[in-house]
Amino acid sequence: MVQNNTPKRPLEREELRDVIDLSLWAGQLLLQHGAESERVEETVHRLGTALGCDWMDILVSPNAIIVTTTSADEFRTKTRRVIPIGVNMTIVSAVNRLSRRVENGELDRFTVRSELRRITDAPPHYNRWTVVLVVGLACAAFSRLFDGDWPVFFVTFAASSTAMFVRQELHKQHFNPLLITAVTAFIAGMIASTATVLKLSATPQVALAASVLLLIPGAQLVNAAEDSIKGHMVVGLVRGISGIFVALAIALGLLLAMWMMGIDGL
Amino acid sequence: MITSDFIGQLLHDAIWSGVAALGFAILFNVPTRTLFGCMVCGAAGHVVRSVIMQLGLSMEFATLIGATVVGILGTAFARRWQTPAAVFTVSGVIPLVPGVFAFRTMLGLLTLAGATDPTAGLSALLEVSQNGIKTGLILMAIAAGIAAPTLLFERRKPVV
Repeated sequence: MVQNNTPKRPLEREELRDVIDLSLWAGQLLLQHGAESERVEETVHRLGTALGCDWMDILVSPNAIIVTTTSADEFRTKTRRVIPIGVNMTIVSAVNRLSRRVENGELDRFTVRSELRRITDAPPHYNRWTVVLVVGLACAAFSRLFDGDWPVFFVTFAASSTAMFVRQELHKQHFNPLLITAVTAFIAGMIASTATVLKLSATPQVALAASVLLLIPGAQLVNAAEDSIKGHMVVGLVRGISGIFVALAIALGLLLAMWMMGIDGL
Repeated sequence: MITSDFIGQLLHDAIWSGVAALGFAILFNVPTRTLFGCMVCGAAGHVVRSVIMQLGLSMEFATLIGATVVGILGTAFARRWQTPAAVFTVSGVIPLVPGVFAFRTMLGLLTLAGATDPTAGLSALLEVSQNGIKTGLILMAIAAGIAAPTLLFERRKPVV
């Protein structure tokens, strides 16, 4: 980063309003889509100072960001509620690149606004059927890693891709995330049980274990641990605990399915 | 001992962990140009972990080394493809995530709640604590591993 010691031009209150609005927007996008706290703070700070203010103070909490911008004697503070949506690495990557371009002086506050609009509105790269297919394949791949045989591979694929489809449908209906997880795990468990019930394989239990892996909040748990290591204890703890709740919901759904199909033990 | 069996096992490992990482990379909507890198990270991390476990070391330690490899590869790929390293590391460590341990812990908890005789309760308690501790340690190892390049080589004065 270029160190520039010449004092910056004091910003008008109107300009400060724009700076805080834009940097908060960028921070919100990052926190919503699975960035760790350190990255959120750093990006918001860089963006705000590159847009002309002297200093930015950022407080990242698990479901809100508070930012204060300062320029000469003037300051403004704003809070924004942030509800986590799910990991979206394209958005994280795009916001990161945007902050670098602003630092290089390529963009001003008007172009930053239109860029953020573009990033927010961009549709996902992969359509829902591709996601259903590859997530099913990923869980089936896990069944191979757990030494499952080919029948288990195909049962896991069927169970996980159906589960992914159900998850998307329930998500559209705005059900509670934990409820979605439990129901999805139940459906995956019911389909995966066929390997045991119909005696399709020598290692049928592997299908049960692998088919619900799409629901394990892996990215969230890793972020929780990373936040804690880097000193963002509050965010780390909250992410960890909500990860534990999701794991509990998976276990409930899976246990119900196993009980209904008369399977004991994993 | 390096035998053809062992190499076959590693190949099996690399292919399926690569596929798993690819699937989750698509779920995480990574930019299309980074898909291959995500797959390589996933395969490399898991293969390294398998090799180290084969040498007789614990899963936790092997995960730390595997995740460090993912972290280093992710940092290198991030320069090459001009994107944050998290794109590669978050999808790359998915094959290392202790998913099965995590829900064994939860299944154990539910069994513990419903256990009627003390012996069953005790074995459920053991199951919960062992799997729970393992899950926590492995997650910490993953996070420390992918943060390793930043923690060791890119030390900067904090900007905030």
